[in-house]
Amino acid sequence: MLNHIAQRLAMSVPVLLGVLLFGFLLLQLVPADPAAIVAGPMASPELVEQVRKDLGLDRPIFVQFGIYLSRVLQGDLGVSLISNTSVIAELGEAIGPTAELMFACLVWAVPLGIALGTIAAVYRGRLLDRIVIAISVAGVSTPVFFIGLILMQYVGYHWGLLPFIGRGGPLWSAEGLAAIALPALTLGLVFIGPIARMTRTAALEVLSTDHVRTARAKGLSERAVVMRHVLRNALIPVVTLIGLQAGYLLGGAVVTETIYSWPGVGRLAVGAILASDFPLAQGAILVLALAFLIINLIVDMLYAVLDPRVDKHG
Amino acid sequence: MKHLTSIAAGALLGLTALAGPALAQGSNTSLTIVREVDSDRYDPHRSTARAASEVIFMMADTLVSLDHDMSTIKPGLATSWTMSPDGKTYTFKLRNDVSFCDGKKLTAQDVVYSMKRWIDPATRSPVRWRAGKVDDIVAVDDTTVEYKLTAPFSELLYQLTQSFAVIMDKANVEALGADFGVKGFNGTGPYCWGDWKPRNEFRLKKHAAYKWGPPIYENKGAAQIEEIVWKIVPEENTRLAAVMTGQSQVTQYVPYSGLSQIRANKNLKLVDSKEAFWTYFVGFKIDKEGVNDPAVRKAMVMAVDQKAIADNLYFGEVEPAYSYISSEALDWNKAVMPIKTNVEEANKILDAAGWVKGADGFRAKDGKKLSPVAYGFTGSTWQKLMEAIQGDLRKIGVDLRVQLFDATIAWGKMATQEFDMFGMSFPYISAGDALNLYFPSANAPTPNRMNWKDAETDALLTKGMTALNDADRAAAYGEVLKKVHEAAVWLPLYHEPMKIAASARLAPFKAHNIYGCGLYKGLDLKFVR
Repeated sequence: MLNHIAQRLAMSVPVLLGVLLFGFLLLQLVPADPAAIVAGPMASPELVEQVRKDLGLDRPIFVQFGIYLSRVLQGDLGVSLISNTSVIAELGEAIGPTAELMFACLVWAVPLGIALGTIAAVYRGRLLDRIVIAISVAGVSTPVFFIGLILMQYVGYHWGLLPFIGRGGPLWSAEGLAAIALPALTLGLVFIGPIARMTRTAALEVLSTDHVRTARAKGLSERAVVMRHVLRNALIPVVTLIGLQAGYLLGGAVVTETIYSWPGVGRLAVGAILASDFPLAQGAILVLALAFLIINLIVDMLYAVLDPRVDKHG
Repeated sequence: MKHLTSIAAGALLGLTALAGPALAQGSNTSLTIVREVDSDRYDPHRSTARAASEVIFMMADTLVSLDHDMSTIKPGLATSWTMSPDGKTYTFKLRNDVSFCDGKKLTAQDVVYSMKRWIDPATRSPVRWRAGKVDDIVAVDDTTVEYKLTAPFSELLYQLTQSFAVIMDKANVEALGADFGVKGFNGTGPYCWGDWKPRNEFRLKKHAAYKWGPPIYENKGAAQIEEIVWKIVPEENTRLAAVMTGQSQVTQYVPYSGLSQIRANKNLKLVDSKEAFWTYFVGFKIDKEGVNDPAVRKAMVMAVDQKAIADNLYFGEVEPAYSYISSEALDWNKAVMPIKTNVEEANKILDAAGWVKGADGFRAKDGKKLSPVAYGFTGSTWQKLMEAIQGDLRKIGVDLRVQLFDATIAWGKMATQEFDMFGMSFPYISAGDALNLYFPSANAPTPNRMNWKDAETDALLTKGMTALNDADRAAAYGEVLKKVHEAAVWLPLYHEPMKIAASARLAPFKAHNIYGCGLYKGLDLKFVR
């Protein structure tokens, strides 16, 4: 197991380097001038040039990247050009709300997706199965921003059931729970489709195996067969998918956070890019990439736990 | 499946029950104001954004205040003031019952410290010029301050009403250092610093001891709302929906397209004011080939249909501008004859000036095509405006070429001599405020991007600035207004209105316009149901 984790960690290093390089180069293409931002709108061209020199922005790009890389390795992500505060502090404020949103999404979407997939498998070919498939296809093919706007329009605006203007407080408070409901619902609706489909496929496969037939022959109730013998075995590919999809959820969170004014890393990244706040944008991109890698690492570890063959054969 | 349905329905009902009280009635102790952007910090001398001023006005006070009419100076922290006969010394008598949010009593030393910090080059305040040419500021005693100038400055009292001129607590500023306005701010305003989460929300708490508000408010005591939450909601339609559903009770940041919905909603009201001083215009760089011809400039101003822009781009919610400042602004010269839209006349002017239309429909003179370059800001506002102007100018044979830049680049680009025209908007409190910023020769190339260098204008501006009475000041500034309007230095587009969407649960209140901050100190904000 430890070898497996070490191997995965080692593989993450080049990925992170790639992310750092990509983020750095991408922001070089943005038609904005960080020196002008720092100098301010009333600054003379001479002052802007002086600021550019002070910030090292007059040096070749590869030198700038080298300096940036060495700072990142020392845990220094720089200072926001707009607020003049540490990027780590800004990200620290935003990570919590994003983690909350991810949790609130997963906590309802994963069980529901698995439940729907299992129901579809058990009632294969019948009306319930078709309804679940239709929900899954709709969930997979509808963009997250569209779901967000529809929910906001009806649940939030027309029916006035839930708030939609940002975080209302800690998750354990009534205001916090109410405020996170719509963003979590939006993200979750995109998430349950793939889980339900994968669960259905995996469960169907397990349902046709010998040990399930044996379980039924022993006189176990259908409920017990499904819960004890089908679901457990069908979960291995589902867990992998959840991990992969959770990574993609981060992308959805960027959109969801923007629509619902949720103060997370996604909205921070969008705001930083729009304001040409390069250090903050780079920091946010790095955090999102790190989150993606960590989620995948956790999935790998879970996979090894669920299927001992992974641990044995790497 | 039945279980699943029951669980889902139960969860939704539960969440709705949790959200219900807040959505249905809202709190009577907390007011949520949604707005588009946050400020980078809340340091009065270093934050020039409207987003900063909105909060600073509530957290701190100025020596003098501005009435809703945007022209009458009223007491603030100073109960009275006098000006010396030579106009160089102002003496302010302070109230002796003012305290900061931490309970510390305000003294004249705090006033001196605040003003000196404003003009200190080390502060690098971009609005230092607004303090006038200061000789010295001294505390005569605990309640008397002398503000000494090297030359009279007739705009001084108006400038002292701005958020840049609020009085701060020296100990607080020095203790917080670089974190002043980021981690805290100890002011004397009706609300105190609560909790700031940058780009998310700013919570202000009621200053219970407050009783020194400007006399422009009916409420003479402390704020009538316990907490104000300034919440950042970048999406304009989300802001509109938030105020329509009662999740926000006040905002001046609703899209023009949504104002009719607000008017039609019985739970909301629209509070507006005619003294709204924020104008959009396009300036001409008057020494560049083509637009250096006054006939060309005049024809271009005449060709643009401001009313169509106001009606079609802004749903008729903005006021078409034919003057450089609002005619409601202090020292507006009624004798100025604004140029009105007249395409036929514009064509005649260009014909008479020798600009001949070619086969492509565009005009040229001496082999030079009339094809000016206009710089502007990226974003929907200027893109739409420039497209409309471009279309109108084609009708008179002018081939306008538009280049839009990100705001971080645009300011630098507009400090160059590369362009012929530029798009801009600005807030002001008076004619002098606007003219002294844009038209002195010494302010070229920025903010005098027109390169308007005229000795007579400079002399009149100085005369207006150093005038010792209102009539002389108005006469001098009025002359400048007439001169620059006749020279068609700008192409005015529209005056941005002040329209605040508010919950009907709030008691009637008046919209202010100081620096575009509609709620100003928010002292009359209170829930009636």
